[in-house]
Amino acid sequence: MVARTTVDWDALATRARVARRSRAVVLYAFLIAVSLPIILPYFWLVTIAFSARTGVADTAVLWRSMAVVIPTVVALWLAAALAQSRRQLWMGLTAVAAIAAVAFALLVGPDLHLGNFIFLWEPDFASVVRSRIGEVKGAVQFPNVWHAFGNSILIAGAQTTIVVTVASLAAYYLSRFQFPGRSSMLRSLLVLHAFPVLTLIVPMFLMLYWIGLLDTLSGVIIVLVAFELPFAIFIMKGFFDAVPWDIEMSALTDGASRRQAFVSVVLPQVRNGILAIAVFTFIRGWEEYIFVFTFLIRNSNWTMSLYMYWVRDDVMGVDYGVVSAVGVFYLVPSLILYMGAQRYLMQMSIGGVKG
Amino acid sequence: MAKIEFRNVVKRFGAVEVIPDMNLVIEDGEFVALLGPSGCGKSTSLFMLAGIYLPSGGELLFDGHVVNEVEARDRNVGIVFQSYALYPHMSVRDNILFPLRFKKTPRDEALTRVKAAANLVRVEELLDRRPSELSGGQQQRVALARALVKEPQLLLLDEPLSNLDASLRLSMRTEIKSLHAQLGVTTVLVTHDQIEATTMADRIICMRAGQIEQVGTPDDLYLKPSSLFVAGFIGSPPINLVAGKAEGGTITVDGVRFPVEGASGSVTVGLRPEHLRFGNTGFAGRIAQIEPMGREILYVVETGMGALRVLEQGSSAGHSTGEEVRIGFQPENSLVFETAQQKLVAGAHVRAPI
Repeated sequence: MVARTTVDWDALATRARVARRSRAVVLYAFLIAVSLPIILPYFWLVTIAFSARTGVADTAVLWRSMAVVIPTVVALWLAAALAQSRRQLWMGLTAVAAIAAVAFALLVGPDLHLGNFIFLWEPDFASVVRSRIGEVKGAVQFPNVWHAFGNSILIAGAQTTIVVTVASLAAYYLSRFQFPGRSSMLRSLLVLHAFPVLTLIVPMFLMLYWIGLLDTLSGVIIVLVAFELPFAIFIMKGFFDAVPWDIEMSALTDGASRRQAFVSVVLPQVRNGILAIAVFTFIRGWEEYIFVFTFLIRNSNWTMSLYMYWVRDDVMGVDYGVVSAVGVFYLVPSLILYMGAQRYLMQMSIGGVKG
Repeated sequence: MAKIEFRNVVKRFGAVEVIPDMNLVIEDGEFVALLGPSGCGKSTSLFMLAGIYLPSGGELLFDGHVVNEVEARDRNVGIVFQSYALYPHMSVRDNILFPLRFKKTPRDEALTRVKAAANLVRVEELLDRRPSELSGGQQQRVALARALVKEPQLLLLDEPLSNLDASLRLSMRTEIKSLHAQLGVTTVLVTHDQIEATTMADRIICMRAGQIEQVGTPDDLYLKPSSLFVAGFIGSPPINLVAGKAEGGTITVDGVRFPVEGASGSVTVGLRPEHLRFGNTGFAGRIAQIEPMGREILYVVETGMGALRVLEQGSSAGHSTGEEVRIGFQPENSLVFETAQQKLVAGAHVRAPI
């Protein structure tokens, strides 16, 4: 028997509390430190888009904005860490946000303007921008930005529609029916995804040329669909596998045909999966660069990524504010989509994928 | 309402023959139970009735018409699954309404029928809820309402009570039975629980490995089990089975000699725990264990033939562990089976040794 020693429970509790607090402090400090390099470029992009002026390479405004942002992030974290109640938390956060807003208005506010978004209403903005520094010749003929925007929406939208339709039907069949070659097909779905698609760019170019779809939006859509499908099918199969057989059989005995059972009973169960692959496919199509760059030539076929590329190519040295503004414009739709669908995307990585 | 008939029905899954040859008639309005251990083919038979599986051979008849190839949706069969299989994305009302959607029932009439079905199983207050907001018992009722709303000619229940807790199971048992009495719909219950089968069904079809072992009323199966399998499957606590040899009017089991009438050769004697009595005569044993079960007490008694179970009425144990006892029984309660064929020897009984 070990001799009983008196235990100082209070001291132990204090020690545990201090250890917990200090671990949290270190963890948050680390997270803030690593997230700054990710947040800053976006923050700068937005700041430059709204503040830079033609022909002026001035970084002072960036440093002033950082002087606002970094203390704000730290202060928000401190407010969150020190608050004892929900009410204090909200008050703390509001106070920090208010001070930050005032500081931002004072330090950065005077430099803000919308002039860099000239491309939205002036198709020949390149000439306008160049003329400000007296260099008119040699500007690229840009199409209307809304045209490129429409092309991007068309490519991403059509790709999404096709991928969602085909992937749900194929995945349902793979999940529910037994047929020769089923398991090798499932294996090949994954293997297909493992190849770097860029390696196929030359054969793809030749194929599109021969079937006459080079420099057409439909050609690009077909290629993108083909590359996106395997993974989408695989994801959807996981979702279908999770739908119990019973409810489908129940629907059949309740008088539904196989197709009616699929549409009215099975599909609603995999809604989250469909939303997830739809968002991912749309964003893939939206940000697509290499294939559109290779397969689309005429400027009436430009997508937003090509527009962005040519803007950078043409006016970067003259006006990086316009380049940033195009970047912001290009970024907004994916941002809205991601924020709206975040909930479903989370479920995909947690619940949906099951071999 | 329909009369159901299996004529030489065969079901194979690939090379596996689940049901080799099934012959069975279920009368119009009857309540039968398909009883057997898991994997005996009872659910397969049920899904063939529903039209989800197609028979690989033979004929399946509804009211004298072959329905082998009639699709599930045209059979007008209501089914309650073990998991209830409610549609999670629909309200209770839409769940019950679902079967009527495909019958092109006018909306007003459909809603009236949904109300009536919900009233029947007492879920009328839950119509606007989602299945996930219901308890197990409530989901069960909704599933019943959904199966009944289309006025099926055949109601199939696949282990309907196995996901309910004990007290709910008891009340649902009563309710399903009274629903059947009220509606008179031909009902097939699939279960592995003999109590469910014996309490609810008019007739029990006891199955084993795809074969029908015995068809009969609950009493038939209990009193005159046609085989060792049925004897062992029906009755709780299970029957005592001891194997011995019958020669010249005596069965010898590990040295214990039972006088016997009408049997010879290798036989197995079946004695139900509730038929065994402690007394001054009979074979000797020593109580090894006592298991109080409320109204009854189960004794495990070590005898020359191994451990036997003896069930005694009453709530307090009249005997204690280690006590030496003698066990007797009424000859008409004993069962004798041929060990090799595993079949009941009709009319054969043993008497307790003096």
